Amino acid sequence: MADVALAGTADQTEPVERTGRDARPEAAAEAVAKVRARSGPSAAARWGAAALRGVHRSLAILLFLALWESAPRLGLVDAVFLPPFSEVLLALKELAAGGALREHAEASLIRSLAGFALAILVMIPLGLVLGWYKPVADFLDPLLELFRNTAALALLPVFTLILGLGETSKISIITYACAWPILLNTIAGVKGVDPLLVKSARSLGLPPYRLFQKVILPAAVPTIFTGVRLAGAYSILVLVAAEMVGAKAGLGFLINDAQFNFRIPDMYAGIIAISVVGLAFNALLLRLERRFSTWRTTA
Amino acid sequence: MTAKISLRGVTKTFSVRAANLGRSTEFTAVAGIDLDVREGEFLTLVGPSGCGKSTLLDLIAGLTRPASGRILLDGEEITGPGLDRGVVFQQYALFPWRTARGNIEFGLEAKGAGRRERRERAGEFLDLVGLTGFADRYPHELSGGMRQRVAIARSLAFDPEVLLMDEPFAALDAQTRESLQEELLGIWERTGKTVVFITHGIDEAVYLGQRVAIMTSRPGRIKEIVDIGFDSREGDLRADPRFGQYRHHIWTRLRDEVAAAQANEREAVGTGG
Repeated sequence: MADVALAGTADQTEPVERTGRDARPEAAAEAVAKVRARSGPSAAARWGAAALRGVHRSLAILLFLALWESAPRLGLVDAVFLPPFSEVLLALKELAAGGALREHAEASLIRSLAGFALAILVMIPLGLVLGWYKPVADFLDPLLELFRNTAALALLPVFTLILGLGETSKISIITYACAWPILLNTIAGVKGVDPLLVKSARSLGLPPYRLFQKVILPAAVPTIFTGVRLAGAYSILVLVAAEMVGAKAGLGFLINDAQFNFRIPDMYAGIIAISVVGLAFNALLLRLERRFSTWRTTA
Repeated sequence: MTAKISLRGVTKTFSVRAANLGRSTEFTAVAGIDLDVREGEFLTLVGPSGCGKSTLLDLIAGLTRPASGRILLDGEEITGPGLDRGVVFQQYALFPWRTARGNIEFGLEAKGAGRRERRERAGEFLDLVGLTGFADRYPHELSGGMRQRVAIARSLAFDPEVLLMDEPFAALDAQTRESLQEELLGIWERTGKTVVFITHGIDEAVYLGQRVAIMTSRPGRIKEIVDIGFDSREGDLRADPRFGQYRHHIWTRLRDEVAAAQANEREAVGTGG
């Protein structure tokens, strides 16, 4: 009970800080300090509040897992096709213990990261150039829209046909899928720079390359990063499908292989592994994104 | 007194593409402007909205080139932007990813000053505009008045000879505006810069300017230049009976122009342009 009451005061810190910041920063700082001082003595209470928030945030997931556990046990679904969550966890543990999980995850991550990194290396510079030369961007825009709206997986057979079944085609398709959000966001980021900022910098007689380095680039970073984060998600999404065709290792292969051999718990274990990898990757990128755009008011 | 800035027959036209006609038409923003700004003078410029005040400022800043006529700074023709002029915009134009200090250092970086010197000068000018202790705040953490102070400090820090201000206080509340006007006068007196200040507020123009230039409606020309002859700017200038007389005189001269500007606007809307 005491935890709940104190959690309330700790929560109030946020709105006070936000409204104060716009009007009078010094007053906000005081207010924050006051609230902190009040809730300062009991570290346990703050832990309690954090735990409570954690439970609140994951309640939906916990309910979902409870449903997964009970539905097959109650006979609502066929336990052969949907084993209870606990059985899947056991299978996951066994896969991890045998080292197979690590091997598959490693193979997948290498592909994903290689494709993702390649897309970043090529598409950010290209996007900067295209965004800067507006006529070129306008000329290419319809083509880019066409490519962007063509599902990458629809092109998977083409990649396999031309590049074979090996790593090249797999990494290429991931690069392809990652390329569009990065490219389009970079172009949008450069084009969307506040003209007044450009004017202000120009009034100081800045030459074009300095203008680009000191104004355009920093102003575009948050938008570019949004594209990078989207691409991160795509790199995992496309990976699984790419690994279902002609792979010998990887989480996608694991899922597909387990299904063929009727190791259903293993299949679900692979699915859980891939979603955890995806979540972790996204969380990492989100954190990086926040770090690079702290100055954004809408953060 | 020598002229710091001279405008001789300056005309600026834009070509505007009319959406419904599909061909471009010439649009004259300012026409045949003759104006001398004296060394160290505080000149304010008033005119009805859309009369080309901002265009005139862009021209002096070197951001655009006149279609005809000449603009001279210290007798030399202006060919582009430069660090001898500093511009302050109405919407502050601060770089949101830089702190107050970082923003002030921006112009110094353009000038090629070393890291140490930049930091020192930025601190100096933060003090000058009364923002000591706010060096590490980002623009979104500052109020409108504070942002405009940072913008003024940024334009002064690289030591330009001329300060060009485009309705810098228009977006601020009345009290903040008055205190910034007072501070600006103080800064001007201490630094001896030549200031060209655009405003649509007659009170502001009379309060700040040693001379007030009145512009006509579009295409903008200089209609009249009024000398503001207060002996001293100490005390409540606005309560001085002469303040009211100047104010009334400028108001009367502007009234016809505002009416003309409104007629212009109505015409433009009427033809669907």
